[in-house]
Amino acid sequence: MTGLVSGALPRLLAPVLCGTALGVVMQVTEPQARVYAIVSPALLAGMAGLLGTVVLGAVALVRRRAAVGTAAAVRDAVAEAAEDRRRFLLRLDHELKNPLTAIRAGLANVEQAGAMAAAGTSASAALASVSAQANRITRLLGDLRKLADLETREIEAAPVDLPSLLHEVGEAVGAIPSASERVIRVNVPQAPWPLPLIEGDRDLLFIALQNLVANAVKFSAPGDTVEVRASEDGSWLMLEVADTGAGIPEDEIGEVWHELARGRAARSLPGTGVGLALVRVVVVRHGGQVAIRSRDGQGTVVSIRLPVPGRAGTAPAVARSRHRRDPLGDMPV
Amino acid sequence: MGRPGARPVVVLADDDDAITSNLAPFLERAGLTVHVASDGAAVLELVERLDPDGCVLDVLMPRVDGREVLRRLRADGHWLPVVLLTQVGGSTERAIALDEGADDYLNKPFDPHELLARLRAVLRRARPGRRPLSASPVLRSGSLRVDRISRRAWVGDAELVLTPKAMLLLDYLLTHPDELMTRDRLLNVLWGFEFPVGTRAVDNRIAELRRALGDDPVRPQWIATVPGQGYRFVASVDEVR
Repeated sequence: MTGLVSGALPRLLAPVLCGTALGVVMQVTEPQARVYAIVSPALLAGMAGLLGTVVLGAVALVRRRAAVGTAAAVRDAVAEAAEDRRRFLLRLDHELKNPLTAIRAGLANVEQAGAMAAAGTSASAALASVSAQANRITRLLGDLRKLADLETREIEAAPVDLPSLLHEVGEAVGAIPSASERVIRVNVPQAPWPLPLIEGDRDLLFIALQNLVANAVKFSAPGDTVEVRASEDGSWLMLEVADTGAGIPEDEIGEVWHELARGRAARSLPGTGVGLALVRVVVVRHGGQVAIRSRDGQGTVVSIRLPVPGRAGTAPAVARSRHRRDPLGDMPV
Repeated sequence: MGRPGARPVVVLADDDDAITSNLAPFLERAGLTVHVASDGAAVLELVERLDPDGCVLDVLMPRVDGREVLRRLRADGHWLPVVLLTQVGGSTERAIALDEGADDYLNKPFDPHELLARLRAVLRRARPGRRPLSASPVLRSGSLRVDRISRRAWVGDAELVLTPKAMLLLDYLLTHPDELMTRDRLLNVLWGFEFPVGTRAVDNRIAELRRALGDDPVRPQWIATVPGQGYRFVASVDEVR
């Protein structure tokens, strides 16, 4: 609205101002034209209006072109940075995997030879510790490779039924030992119609959602509540994973989607800090969006929006008489 | 294996000395006789000279890379089992690894015990002097026939409709018959890397395969469930000439 007013005002004022200016110029340079100008204010206003519109239009056009140019440049820069980062991850992976393979082979050698393996000695403890750390770096490297790979690999586009997927996610998360100490609720609407099918890679979507719910369990305490909520507005399918857990401090919230981001609260917990970055990549590859809100000490809610095939980008459907779910998707019938 | 009762002879090829100097003694102590090669040309020479029982090949090597070595070995009629050490990320690359006739593949940095287990499995499966299943373009198992080049499958005369992932899984199961396939390993086959969670994804694909094959999980003709562990392709597999 503000844009409309501030855009309209100069347009309304322009002919008047330009007309006045033209009048002054004519009066100064052409005294004879003064009479003409007085007798023909309509012509003057018309000329001025034309002049004003042309000038303002030209200014607006130049500005718009510049903005489009800037936006394209920003887009290019962002894409280039993403590609640089991906190449860096692959280079890092490439440079680290050989030394790591050698370290693990060396450790297996030592264990097998039994050189230091007398149980209970500090040497065997050291060996176990080095081995655990090597495995940790291996996991981290694997996670980073996954991220780089998922950003570009071809992903499946098959119909995915969210309710059954969420049911499986619930089961998988329920198997985490500490999950039984949380109240976990999954809310999937049935009325007025079931959720539409979405299109994508079921395995990847499972992993993203499982990550989110497992995170909610991980960063909450016994007695806390974890809620998974699904809804749709005709064009988009919305998913929320909310918890009454520890929350994320304000100064850390902007970092959470980046790979290797590990908050202060997470330092004592297992994990590589790739989970949310993975979630974001999966959702973005499905044409969706992610967002997070959190209050330190109160809890966190992660929101996901996924496009409903053939609907996203159009106005929400509000006047459909009947919906049906079938393998072809949520088509109006 | 070519030498009954004897220690299997294996060529270990990697240009990184830190890897071979640590892996070779590990494999030796596990009961294999290991010859190390640091480039592809040396592998070809060793295979000609020693006629080994198996080979572990790194893909990235100077002079002749692992893939080219494998192609030349197969072209020369060497059917020894080969484990390819490769960074197979995308499914296309894995498909290439299969097309080239590698018997198995592992991503670096792998667990040496896993390499040993895979190596033992391919040695056990080896059919001396005969083309390994993994290098055969068409396979048959009962009424199931799979054309691995065109990636099509039939039960009797009916062509199966399979997603690319299910096809990849079927191909892997078929070329590794009678081997226990953990869910983690099958996930690795599908994705090229490990997913620590969501092994249910594998169950879904197996269910898809069973549906397509009309295989009863209770009395399986092809794919049996190994409770608590994973799956096993239980039918015998032969190449179609």
